[in-house]
Amino acid sequence: MLELFYTRIFLFAVTGALLTGYTCSLMGTFVVRMNLSSLGFAMSHAAFAGAALGVFLKQDPIIFALLFSIAIALTLGPLADKAKLKTDVVIGVMFSLSMALALLFLNLSPDTTMSSAALRILWGSVLGLTTADIMYLLIITVITILFVIMFFKEINAILFDRKLARASGINDKPFYYLILILTSLTVAFSLKLVGGLLVFALMINPTSAVYQFSYDMKKIIIFSPVVGMLSCLLGILVSFLFDLPTGSSIAIVCSLIFAISVVLSPKRRKG
Amino acid sequence: MEKIVEISSVDTTYEGEKIPCLKDITLHIKKGDFIAVIGPNGAGKTTLLETINGLLESSCGEIKVLGKSLKRNGSVVRKNIGYVPQDYSIDELTPFLVSDIVLMGRYGRIGLLNPITKKDREIAKKIMRYMEIDEISKRPIGKLSGGQAQKVMIARALAKEPQIMLMDEPFSNLDFEARKEVSEKLVDLHKKQNITFVIVIHDITSIPSVCNRVIVMDNGKIVADGSREDILKPDLMDIGYRGIVC
Repeated sequence: MLELFYTRIFLFAVTGALLTGYTCSLMGTFVVRMNLSSLGFAMSHAAFAGAALGVFLKQDPIIFALLFSIAIALTLGPLADKAKLKTDVVIGVMFSLSMALALLFLNLSPDTTMSSAALRILWGSVLGLTTADIMYLLIITVITILFVIMFFKEINAILFDRKLARASGINDKPFYYLILILTSLTVAFSLKLVGGLLVFALMINPTSAVYQFSYDMKKIIIFSPVVGMLSCLLGILVSFLFDLPTGSSIAIVCSLIFAISVVLSPKRRKG
Repeated sequence: MEKIVEISSVDTTYEGEKIPCLKDITLHIKKGDFIAVIGPNGAGKTTLLETINGLLESSCGEIKVLGKSLKRNGSVVRKNIGYVPQDYSIDELTPFLVSDIVLMGRYGRIGLLNPITKKDREIAKKIMRYMEIDEISKRPIGKLSGGQAQKVMIARALAKEPQIMLMDEPFSNLDFEARKEVSEKLVDLHKKQNITFVIVIHDITSIPSVCNRVIVMDNGKIVADGSREDILKPDLMDIGYRGIVC
């Protein structure tokens, strides 16, 4: 019976890891190319603030985490456009606001047990994955894959140069905003596995590793999720074998993969 | 001859600014025109190009391109306009290959949800051969020289099979030989395909021979508009325009 319980946890962890690794790294290709590296960081803290509000209101922290991430994503693009500032600057503003709100809500919540539930969102917990979490991850993975396949032309042109894409007759704004929204959803649904702080590593590191080997955006989009999945699988394995926190293990593995790719990169060879 | 661009009393003001960069511009461009826009830095030449293709929204007046109101049909109109900007964000690590960038020129024309066809790829290849960049088609854009990258951006704009080409300082990154070569190709395209060209040029000696009209801009206004012969007359240049242009 206990064995079955562990098998189920392991299966859930592996499935969750594969889906999270794939989606985070796929969205990571856009985040890295568009210089939005701090997006994952801001989203995860927005989710943390949402979770803290959930705790304060004695509701499910995950639902509020999701709502806050989406709210940030919906605001980010239009706000950056309106304020005529680089998106990264607006992300910085959002980040400080999120942290302030999170601390405020946690301070207002007298129940420390519930507060630790919110803190788990920052660190992740693979043991807590439920069938519903896996289903959510599966849905967001399918949506992101469909988004990339259906609108590859438009996304590719925007990734090259937003202004030139617009000049080509592509309506760039909806795609740009969709990228931000899908990134926020990916972050929100990945929180349970890797946690808010480490989802950032999963978005940036696999793509940055693949960047070391290719100048072809198509290949980067194809292979980054593969490296993301590999990082997650190895991370889970290390976590189970050495009884280490899953999120940390995944982040360390994908950082190591990045470091190795920098050393092996043909881009630094001459001749 | 058919009017392809009709600009009536247009001002363009950048967001957050009070003084318009383009002031009361009225300009009609006929199909097949080859226009050189000249003027000093800050005269409004780039703003004029970006107002024509709707990348910048005019604050008053009306613009019709190919018979359609630009305000209501911006994206549709832009599918028929090739645009070569002066600056584009390319660095050494930009992860895009030349062939992909040229093909991108067709994306707007292909349309949403429609797949890239064999014909699209063939047109892109044909343009690359024409611009003599087919041998570097699989190289990353960031590894090219300024002149090669400029040719790629021109090829990208041409891949759209545009009716109008708006080019902002297209010869700026080219050496003398490449400038001559690209200029001849533009003249050839103009003759064979009757594409309308509006080219911003800083160096008036680079104005292609086929250019039939020269517009002089200064301080956001059109200060002279006429035939190449009239505008670039040595005596006129001496009297007034030389001070503006050089």
